[in-house]
Amino acid sequence: MIEVKDLVRTFKSGDRTIKPVNGVSFELGQGTLASIVGKSGSGKSTLLSLLGALDKPTSGDVVVNGVSLAGMPDGKLTEYRRRDIGFVFQQFNLVPNLSALDNVMLPMEFAGVRKSVRAERARALLEQVQLDPDKHGRRINRLSGGEQQRVAIARALANEPKLILADEPTGNLDEQTGEHIIALLSSLSRDHNTTILVVTHDRTLANKTDRRFRLQQGKLTEEPVRGRAAEPAAV
Amino acid sequence: MSVLARSVGNAFRNKVRTAAVVAVLAVAIGLALAMLVANQAVGAKVQELNASVGTVLTVNPAGGQGFEGGGEPLTAEQAATAADVPNVTAVVGTKALRLRNAAEAAAQAAAGTQAGPGGGQGGPGGQTTTTLTTILTAAVDAGTLGARNQDSSGTTAATGSTGSTGTTATTQPARALPITATGTGAEVDSTGKALELTSGTGLGDYTAESTKALLGTTLAEKNNLKVGSTFTINSKTFTVAGLFDAGTAFGNNALYVTLPTAQTLAELPGELSTMIVTVDSMENVDAAKTALQNALGTDKADVTQGQRNLETAVTSLDSVKNISMVAFIAALGTAGLIILLIMVMLVRERRREIGVLKAIGAPNRTICLQFVLEALVLVALGSVVGAVLASFASGGIASALVSSSTGTTAAPAGQRGGGFAGAAGGLPGGQGGPFGGASQLLTSVTASVSPGILAAGIAAVFGVAIIGALVPALLTARIRPIEVLRGE
Repeated sequence: MIEVKDLVRTFKSGDRTIKPVNGVSFELGQGTLASIVGKSGSGKSTLLSLLGALDKPTSGDVVVNGVSLAGMPDGKLTEYRRRDIGFVFQQFNLVPNLSALDNVMLPMEFAGVRKSVRAERARALLEQVQLDPDKHGRRINRLSGGEQQRVAIARALANEPKLILADEPTGNLDEQTGEHIIALLSSLSRDHNTTILVVTHDRTLANKTDRRFRLQQGKLTEEPVRGRAAEPAAV
Repeated sequence: MSVLARSVGNAFRNKVRTAAVVAVLAVAIGLALAMLVANQAVGAKVQELNASVGTVLTVNPAGGQGFEGGGEPLTAEQAATAADVPNVTAVVGTKALRLRNAAEAAAQAAAGTQAGPGGGQGGPGGQTTTTLTTILTAAVDAGTLGARNQDSSGTTAATGSTGSTGTTATTQPARALPITATGTGAEVDSTGKALELTSGTGLGDYTAESTKALLGTTLAEKNNLKVGSTFTINSKTFTVAGLFDAGTAFGNNALYVTLPTAQTLAELPGELSTMIVTVDSMENVDAAKTALQNALGTDKADVTQGQRNLETAVTSLDSVKNISMVAFIAALGTAGLIILLIMVMLVRERRREIGVLKAIGAPNRTICLQFVLEALVLVALGSVVGAVLASFASGGIASALVSSSTGTTAAPAGQRGGGFAGAAGGLPGGQGGPFGGASQLLTSVTASVSPGILAAGIAAVFGVAIIGALVPALLTARIRPIEVLRGE
């Protein structure tokens, strides 16, 4: 479903050229829950931003469902992000003066979904991520970190993307809440056949994914994992 | 939630800051609107002055100046010549008559004070003015000046040196001012301005057979006349067709009949006392005056321009108008700059949020629109407060601008009424016409906030605000969503 071909991203830092992503290639099938681990500054987030069309590679290509992102104009890349990608950020990155419901409706609004449909769907998604219905209309800054991350996951699912990219989704959460989020992502991957790629430092999370990659000095290597077959399906 | 709702919500994210921004915008917008109102008010005044007196020339018979005047009367042919002069848009001939109350005239005759052959002199330049009798009673007393003028113009003066048949001073009955009757070719006063009718209609048919008359309000009141009432002049019956208000008690002690009627009453067909010549624009007045003087001949007619004071005043008003326009544009620019700076600040502050919106698929135009709408919400609030401020401040600002700019140039108000002193035979306007009242006209500039001006001003403010907001809003297109992850 997603095919990464010899992806390279370089940055200039003074006289030096840094290559956080240096010839990365891999493939992920539909419905896979995968993780990328590595040290801080190893280029994990850079790789994620290239996959999500937030940044453009120096060379190489990302092919999603047979469509190449290389050379795609900005407008098309925006459309790609809107239609095919869901982002979950470590800092949640929700719009603070909007309610949980409004935040989830935002991507649908951008996609031109009718208001009545998007409200109904947003409520369903918030219920799916187990956010108390009493909190659907609550402003983001009045929700806990775990609740905000649930809203962020619901927002990522809003337009039923084929690929969810999660950057340290449990990084700002306590252990128990992090466990809930891991279970939630696992469940979504299984139930919705959504491909989820998680960048994480969290060994627990990495061990519960179907595939685990390590990014080191710009190079990606796959590591064996126990996988999530033995894990409970429900959150 | 729509883009508009989100923009409104964003405008109130930080209420303290919003209040401060709205306050600053309100001052700028209020100042802009006040300046626009002042500009419109002054502009209207300039237009009014130009349209009324600023472009009028008065033609009198040559040599008709002063009490010892002579020369030939003006004629209808000269009026036609004047009409052919370039830039002249209208020529209105007038024939002045002096009406004396028949009973009073009889009493004075009995007392031996009736004017001799030289009686009835007076009016502007001492022109020959036909004196007729009427049943009307003057609405104003002669006063000291009036009595003195009547003495000098018709009766034997205290010196007794000029009256051919008059007597030296004896005990005389109290006198009323003669009533000024003007035969006119159009219903205009001496400034060329249309008569302000308070009731009734105009003179209508301009023929010698016309028996319609327009009466000043005080004259009508004094004689218990109203529209439809009748009175006589030299035994001819006239019907009151309308009442006019000249603005002064002396000016309202007058009446108008048609020019042919007046000429018939005076038994001087084709003869004119004065011509009121209107020039197409103030810029052409000087040239038209010279051309008119040349066309009529310096030995036949004197062309005078009575609005010199007003010309200076209008020039002052024009500069006030320009100043207020510059101030309006400056205030408008300030409002636009405020919006620009605020929006630049907001865009910088919300870079991460903009990045997030882009990351989740928001098109640039949506984000741009959101920021422009947010700016317009702030401007709308500022406009409401600014309009209230302007409605209170515009009058004061306009007055301050006018008085500071024209205080040294306007003629003293005391000149009013001094132009044609003792002009019993002159036009009603001559008893205190506009020529000397420049300062009064200037101070009568009133700034009122009309909905139209307000709407135009606010539309301009919104136009500038859109431009001001568009620049930072377009900057959002340059924000790349990757910046969201860089901040992680």
